[in-house]
Amino acid sequence: MKHDLLIIGGGLSGLFAACVASRQGKKVKILSYGESTLTIGSGIIDVLGYDDDGNFVANPIEGIKNVAKHHPYAKVENDVAKKALQTFMEIAKAENYPYMGDVNRNRWIPTALGNFKPTCLTPYSMNSDLLFEKKHILVVGFEGMKDFYADMVAKNLKKDFEEKKSITSLVIKSDLVNSRDLRDISSIDIAFWLEHEEGFNSFKNQLKPYVTPDTVIVLPAVLGLDPNYDLLDRLQQDLKTTFIEVFSLPPAITGLRLNKMLVSYAKKCGVEIIKKAKVIAAEVVDNKCKSVIVESHGRQKKFHADDFILATGGIYGGGLIAGIGSLKEPIFNIDIEVPEVQTDWSDKKLFSKGKQLFAQFGIEVNNNLVPITKDGKQIIDNLKIVGRNLAGYDFCYEKSGNGVVLITAYKAAMDLCKVVR
Amino acid sequence: MSVKLNINPDQCIACTICVTACPVTAATRKFRGPKMTGPALTRLRKLISDDDNMLDYCSNCKNCDLACPSGVPISTLNMIAKNEYYKTHPRKSKADYMLAHSENMGKMITSIPLGATFANLGMSIGKNLNMMKAMGIAQDAKMPSYANESFYSKFKKFKQVSYPNKVVFFPGCFINYNQPDIGMDLVKVYQKNKIEVIVDEEFVCCGSPMVAGGYLDDAKVNAEKNVSRFKYWTDKGYDIITACTSCGLMLKQEYNELFDIEALETCSKHIYDAMEYLAILADNNELNTDFKFDNKKYMYHAPCHLKVQAIGFPSLDLLRQIPKIQVTEADAGCCGISESYGFKADKHEISMKIGAKLFKKIKSANVDYVLSECGTCRLQIENGSGKKAIHPISILKQAYDK
Repeated sequence: MKHDLLIIGGGLSGLFAACVASRQGKKVKILSYGESTLTIGSGIIDVLGYDDDGNFVANPIEGIKNVAKHHPYAKVENDVAKKALQTFMEIAKAENYPYMGDVNRNRWIPTALGNFKPTCLTPYSMNSDLLFEKKHILVVGFEGMKDFYADMVAKNLKKDFEEKKSITSLVIKSDLVNSRDLRDISSIDIAFWLEHEEGFNSFKNQLKPYVTPDTVIVLPAVLGLDPNYDLLDRLQQDLKTTFIEVFSLPPAITGLRLNKMLVSYAKKCGVEIIKKAKVIAAEVVDNKCKSVIVESHGRQKKFHADDFILATGGIYGGGLIAGIGSLKEPIFNIDIEVPEVQTDWSDKKLFSKGKQLFAQFGIEVNNNLVPITKDGKQIIDNLKIVGRNLAGYDFCYEKSGNGVVLITAYKAAMDLCKVVR
Repeated sequence: MSVKLNINPDQCIACTICVTACPVTAATRKFRGPKMTGPALTRLRKLISDDDNMLDYCSNCKNCDLACPSGVPISTLNMIAKNEYYKTHPRKSKADYMLAHSENMGKMITSIPLGATFANLGMSIGKNLNMMKAMGIAQDAKMPSYANESFYSKFKKFKQVSYPNKVVFFPGCFINYNQPDIGMDLVKVYQKNKIEVIVDEEFVCCGSPMVAGGYLDDAKVNAEKNVSRFKYWTDKGYDIITACTSCGLMLKQEYNELFDIEALETCSKHIYDAMEYLAILADNNELNTDFKFDNKKYMYHAPCHLKVQAIGFPSLDLLRQIPKIQVTEADAGCCGISESYGFKADKHEISMKIGAKLFKKIKSANVDYVLSECGTCRLQIENGSGKKAIHPISILKQAYDK
């Protein structure tokens, strides 16, 4: 069976490209191997938080006009980037899990350490403006839960707000602690607990004495595993107060929700997703990809399509394979130029003041997102590269993760839809 | 003779994706979760002998393997460790052996006249007299009932048209002893596509329930028997097909993960799911699509053991070629049974909790029947939702009938 478009990779870039192309009537298939890093990530959409010199960018959609020429954003027209983010917002709304935010404004959201980071689009449950509006901040943790310590978060928030607000913390008790010797309590366990009536009521009753309409409750992202705001809405209504979820260390539920939301939308659009499909090679003839080859159980199977999108992620996601002094994209055999001496790949300080070199490694593309050689020649004409395996950006330093992903995925998908065959 | 104990757990980067995908973790805090019980503890087990009864909670549903981006066979690590654990620890119940060796039961019951009638009757009496509970089988679980005549016996009486294209069918215990009509439907569907079906009575249980029950050595014996037969047939140029997704997964994947059997390398690539095989025909425009219409509404549940085979959902592709048919995908995760896991008294509640989302979806959908390739998935669905569940091959067979 031949498809119009085959997407390799089922993470944020692959799913979003699939949604965009299938909305335009394309027959799309995704080949994915394992769940993506999206499922354990924050699910928030950073577009651009800091420029190359580390200055805060107040208006991200304007800020991306000024990136260096090798940056993925430099390959995308500004109105296309804007349209990409709007389309994401439309899809989220259509799936009843709307996101909030303004592409012209970076917002400061609290982290699980109690400091702040800039971001652009977030779930509604992360309305951090409330933090600046409300008089009282109550930081809520859960007894035994790892990676979110309410008193530490409160202490760090106090440093920022000084005497301007009353900031307190509270630890909620759950019946999960009795079985603590069996398994660590993660945000997922708390979410299971809150999804059941018993846990929900216990939580509500413990909170009740501490809240007023002028309180905002800061808590880890635990309000339900599915992409909706049912628990948040019920709590805000019943307690007549407000909540802000804080994304936590993996597994972070906000990423899991976003993954479910996009999979649901993609399936409604008729996108086929084949799981556990490990693409090992591609059949390329005269600079054109004819098919990609999936190997499983010792058997190989070819998948044909007119166009291909590579959305396999960077080094962490498994899309790029690093060796000693080498870096490679394994499916299309694209070698990425890197310093021979491994120690030159990175700044010795993990949280260095500048960008990390290794973070910027990736596949070089032209303005059509087609991979190119050093002298600018297209390697495979009907292949586009999107998301984390693109060269030229350090998402961690500049706070552009997921923004680059959505914007390049959108551009690739829309460009393909314009081609008349 | 030994099982493989050399899978390197260090491929796991401890990303926790499998924890978000594990249905047992979601249903009970008594299980430590796939990452911890699988790769993390495997590292320790290399140093010290294991004393962890938590392993029993892993249902071998394989959702962790499906989710793992690093290719770690997490559930197989659990199964190997479970096998080691029971070498030095007592079993929880008498049911463990019986459920793991269900083929013995099937053979015995179908070999005596009216055996199935008495066995099925016995099962319901046993239930009433609390005998099942005493054996360690859940009171509320719907147990498979036995057929009066095995598939092998029915097949022998059926007159096939001989064609040059032939496949060898591995029926598996459930089709052979419990629902032989599915096997017969398969033969008829393949005949409509001008393919002759060969059946080999030397095949034994694939061993999947033995692996899940912690009887790896028994499973290895069966694996060697089956693989020698596969080699015989594949050397002749024939492909092998299965209609049970757990058998299929066991034969082509888990044998490779668990055992060192030399011949396996050449034959596992010739093993196909029966629906996948037909879907490949369809891809090559060779499928007989002379279907009559079917105006019923179906909901399709993809078994976990199918999802992990990397072949997509061939049944959906095939069924949608039948005129007027309405098939929706349940897409509600694991049904909870995972072969015999949900039959065990101490696991039944967990199993029903895992399946709750699926049952709810089926109940609220206005469909006539549920479709699924896995025999125990179908039982669990019927038990949990009250809707009848059918193997998709039977719908194809029906559509060919004029």
